[in-house]
Amino acid sequence: MKAGPSPEEIRRHNLGTLLRFVHLRGPASRATLAESLGLNRSTIMALTADLTAAGLVREELPRRPGRRAGRPSLVVRPESTRVYVLAFDVGVDRLAVARVGLGGTVLDRRSADLPRGAVDPNELVTALAGAARTLVRKAGRDAVCVGAGVAFPGIVRRADGRVVFGPNIKMTDVVLGDLLARRLGLGVPVTVGNDADLGALAEHERGAGVGCENLVYLHGDVGIGGGIIVGGRLLGGEEGFAGEIGHMIVNPGGRACACGSRGCLDSEVGERTLLDYAGRDQSSGQSGRDAVRAVVDAADRGDVAAREALHRVGTWLGFAVANLVNVFNPGMVIFGGTLRDVYLGSAAQVRSMVATGALAAPRDRVRLRTAELGDDATLTGAAEFAFAEVLADPLQVLARLREPEGTPVP
Amino acid sequence: MSLGTSFGRSVGASARPVLDLRGVDKSFGPVQVLHGVDLTAYPGEVTALVGDNGAGKTTLVKGIGGVHTFDSGEYLFEGRPVRPRTPRDAAGLGIEVVHQDLALCENLDIVENMFLGRERSNGIALDEAAMEEAARRTLTGLSVRSVGSVRRRVSELSGGQRQTVAIARAVLWDSRVVVLDEPAAALGVAQTQQVLELVRRLADKGLAVVLISHNMNDVFAVSDRIVALYLGRTAAQVRTADVTHRQVVELITSGRTGDLGLPA
Repeated sequence: MKAGPSPEEIRRHNLGTLLRFVHLRGPASRATLAESLGLNRSTIMALTADLTAAGLVREELPRRPGRRAGRPSLVVRPESTRVYVLAFDVGVDRLAVARVGLGGTVLDRRSADLPRGAVDPNELVTALAGAARTLVRKAGRDAVCVGAGVAFPGIVRRADGRVVFGPNIKMTDVVLGDLLARRLGLGVPVTVGNDADLGALAEHERGAGVGCENLVYLHGDVGIGGGIIVGGRLLGGEEGFAGEIGHMIVNPGGRACACGSRGCLDSEVGERTLLDYAGRDQSSGQSGRDAVRAVVDAADRGDVAAREALHRVGTWLGFAVANLVNVFNPGMVIFGGTLRDVYLGSAAQVRSMVATGALAAPRDRVRLRTAELGDDATLTGAAEFAFAEVLADPLQVLARLREPEGTPVP
Repeated sequence: MSLGTSFGRSVGASARPVLDLRGVDKSFGPVQVLHGVDLTAYPGEVTALVGDNGAGKTTLVKGIGGVHTFDSGEYLFEGRPVRPRTPRDAAGLGIEVVHQDLALCENLDIVENMFLGRERSNGIALDEAAMEEAARRTLTGLSVRSVGSVRRRVSELSGGQRQTVAIARAVLWDSRVVVLDEPAAALGVAQTQQVLELVRRLADKGLAVVLISHNMNDVFAVSDRIVALYLGRTAAQVRTADVTHRQVVELITSGRTGDLGLPA
């Protein structure tokens, strides 16, 4: 018979749960925490004391006096400026790096354009690390970096963060996390995830999908990415490659895709296709999210080619959503990145395809929504990914980071 | 959302309609504009009201909002029969209508507009601090960051920002039903998208939203149900998930499509 969890395990779990609550939902009074976490107030007090001693939260009187009589309950706030992670968002044509505080506040950020085409891993890491160092330098002396996460537009192995393949960024077989961790030299591991997977995570934890345990997130950049949350957890599959919705074949024998196949959602709905259909000349530098948004804008003003382009793209997108609804029975499908604009500009077509293509039972309750975090969904996801370790075992991670290199942790 | 009420956020719509019109008629002199119109709106859902020009959409909405009363038929609010005779009666029930012209005062700021005619006082003077705080909290609750200071004059705001203020004013009063008459009519695409997302958030917070729109993409992007009016009659009330663009267009233009709609 398996023994129950030890008191130490329970304490670690409770510390993580409390920290996670204030991280995701913001400052909360002890009374609220006790009620929401189902723990008694003396336990909350003890946990808060431990987290305060570790410098992860602080307690203070509420900013606005409550209306109730008596001594107000102290409010537990995450130490947003002192405890932070580095979040990296690698897009096909741009990079973003942010310093994100506990609680999810973006404290500082840098972004840069990236020339399209093949990217040298070393140059990429140099650019990312350089921007990160500037951000770290500007952080306070007492601030501590507790993790780093990268959102990458390609296929990433869960176990070691190896970038196996990046069809739109032409990078193959690179252990990006290790490379970047060494270059940063902050003593924190760098976790790497597929950008749409991390977008799904972010929308689930902080965006449109809060409270929805089964959702599909579709991300439009140059290509189309996907992330699937099942039972509140990101669906990884055998090696973490799951959720490549962009390479679901919706139009057999259709347009050639960068992955080598034909008729993938990516190639039928992606940026190049939409711009082609709308008759936009891409050689003259008209590409990227602004070009996609310009097509949606033109369609709204009555441009016939733009409307036709959105109609065609909306048809394939609708097929894909119908298939996803049938296979996963999600409570919500979220359109992020440039797909937010594409969806809003072609919703009649997308939903018509879903109405005729999806089974009535799973279609009945599915809600179609746009990403609440907008263009920051993937960056936010990278930050949440980076926070995962400290939220799972707050004191251990802090102790390790505060000890000088090489000292055994008690 | 108030912090800590729950870890997540409640979602989904309950089955009981908050607004239920059954067979309402309205004539102006010899002209009968509405013939036995039905419209049902549920909390947590966006109900799109569609129809050609002259189908009776605005007359219906004015009746809902108490601008005029219906001649006959049932008007049920949360299951009780009601008969609002003025917009103030309707507002008292929890029904707010945002008309196309928005009815904002250009020379007043955002807070003053949101509390216009319903100012809060602390006994002697207006309680400016409390009103400012409530206005700010409402805008934050709707994830609206685009208007800047709540003390900006409405004359300085863009079309989309004005629409946002008009919608925020409607939800400041714990409304249960918000009716929006063509909120995106005069807006550019970026602002339209923001207003659509705001409309969706209102419903996701549990309000019943009735949205009048001519744009089928907007209707399909945010609605849960569609009520199509044809020549003053309800051609069909359908779930958006069950119909196609073509069917809705046919309901609007000919009052029926396949088995749906008015008898031939």
